[in-house]
Amino acid sequence: MTCTETRDLFSALADDALTPAERAALDAHLAGCAECRRELAGLLRTVKLVRAIDPERAPAGFVDRVLAAARPEPARKRLARRLLAPWPTLPLGAAALFLVAGLAVLLFRGSPDQRQAARYQPPTPGPAVQAPTPETAPSTGPAAPRETGSSATTAPREVAPAAPPSSREATAPQRSRELEALKNRVEQPAPAERRAETRAEPGSAPRDAAPPAEPPRAMAERQVATPPAVEDGRRAKVDQAQRPPASERFSSAAQDTRADAAKDTAKEGKLRQESPASAPPVGAAGVVPSVAAKSQMVPQIAPLSRTGPMTGVPAAPPDVTAQLRVPDVAAAELSLIELATRVGGRQTGRRIDGGRVVVELAVPRDAYAQFVREATALGAVSIESQATDRPVLAVAVTVSN
Amino acid sequence: MREALGADPPGLLERLRAGEPRAFEELVTVYQHRVFGVALRMLGSRAEAEEIAQEVFLRAYRAVADFRGDARLGTWLYGIASRLCLNRLASPDRRVARGDAALADVPASTPDAAAAAERAELDAALRAAIAGLPEDRRLVLVLRDVEGLSYEEIANALDLDPGTVRSRLHRARLQLKEKLERFA
Repeated sequence: MTCTETRDLFSALADDALTPAERAALDAHLAGCAECRRELAGLLRTVKLVRAIDPERAPAGFVDRVLAAARPEPARKRLARRLLAPWPTLPLGAAALFLVAGLAVLLFRGSPDQRQAARYQPPTPGPAVQAPTPETAPSTGPAAPRETGSSATTAPREVAPAAPPSSREATAPQRSRELEALKNRVEQPAPAERRAETRAEPGSAPRDAAPPAEPPRAMAERQVATPPAVEDGRRAKVDQAQRPPASERFSSAAQDTRADAAKDTAKEGKLRQESPASAPPVGAAGVVPSVAAKSQMVPQIAPLSRTGPMTGVPAAPPDVTAQLRVPDVAAAELSLIELATRVGGRQTGRRIDGGRVVVELAVPRDAYAQFVREATALGAVSIESQATDRPVLAVAVTVSN
Repeated sequence: MREALGADPPGLLERLRAGEPRAFEELVTVYQHRVFGVALRMLGSRAEAEEIAQEVFLRAYRAVADFRGDARLGTWLYGIASRLCLNRLASPDRRVARGDAALADVPASTPDAAAAAERAELDAALRAAIAGLPEDRRLVLVLRDVEGLSYEEIANALDLDPGTVRSRLHRARLQLKEKLERFA
């Protein structure tokens, strides 16, 4: 046996893995070869070193983490995840393109009418005239009201059931009472402060940073919420730097100016760079509610809508649409509203669609799973959804039997 | 070196196949250190090792019904861990530099106060030497000399011929010996 052949067996010798024949040949060679004996000693020391390495231990809590990862998800959680899945995977570019396209359509379609409407805006106030004001606000743009925080999203919807014009007049007295109640609620805390709080919410920062969402929101803000907000001294302070002088704000021409300015800015793609103070969320608490609250005092400036039944531009679709089949529609309707309230949401509207009652609700995303679970107890629920990652989901439930 | 793998806990495989929740917990509890150990030695990063080790158990959880039981559970888990580690090492997402650093940042788990400095130097050299081995040799060396598997178990886990295991191990040790000449 040569030295090379002998040394090829050293490793196996360390593991006691030699056949008896190999072992005999090896021993015979080693007996007469000092060089190979030194080599063997060196290799065995190396093996000993490696084997002296302490075995590693898995970190504390590893078992629990594995068990948690392996635990099957509850069915409702899987459902919620499936519902929420499409949006995060929507390519950002496509979303941005969609929003920009929508904005362009709104601008070019709405602007001339808008200006004309503003010029001929009747100066006489009245609750009946004001009623549509808040109502149109939430449907200002496809994405606009959705970009707001949890408290913000629901506020305008609460006073803005998307009822057809015919039913609107019938409910005018009730609406006035609602507006009155809302006014009281909205005036404390101060809208400016509430807006500040809204922005300070964890979810608001990324929204402000999201480029596709910004232009329509800023547009809507300028178009709709600016005039009444002008009356709000607290807000005026906040937005002073970005707004025209007070004297201009009362003229409809000033609205044109702003509309043009906004359009130009949008074209230049600079809206995103604006200070957040110039473009708070449309539905931010205090902004649109102040429309309702303040419009009675300063009615000559009525915010304009670019969407809704009067404009032919449909309002933003709900995040979740569902069908609820029950024996007793009226009772189920009440139960749904009660359920939404219980999970921290509220009713935002009610309409009749094709002879069927559609209840519109705002449901906090965190409580959505619970909402679905409990709604299932009311009757047969089928959900066809387009959910988002917004903190509050707009849920439209068609109740029928 | 870790103690020999030994036999599976009695009845564990059957209980796993029956979907008994406690059985999976027992599997993870019994084999967590082994699986994590090989992942750490191969990947060099504790975070990455934990991620892979977790994946090993999740895969085992899903696949246990298909496991024929012709090897021991421990060997099977080592096999899954080895494949996942090699895949990870081959992944283009993984930084190339990682390979060189592998094991270098694995801290010595029992610092010996008496010969701390010397031992630390040796440890560093040893880990660097192991990390510098080609992946297939490193895997065999880790399974044999750190995790304590037999040739046969390694061959089973890696689906290799025992002769291949022996020759890879031989080359790995020779390479290490050269690198650690001044310590040996």
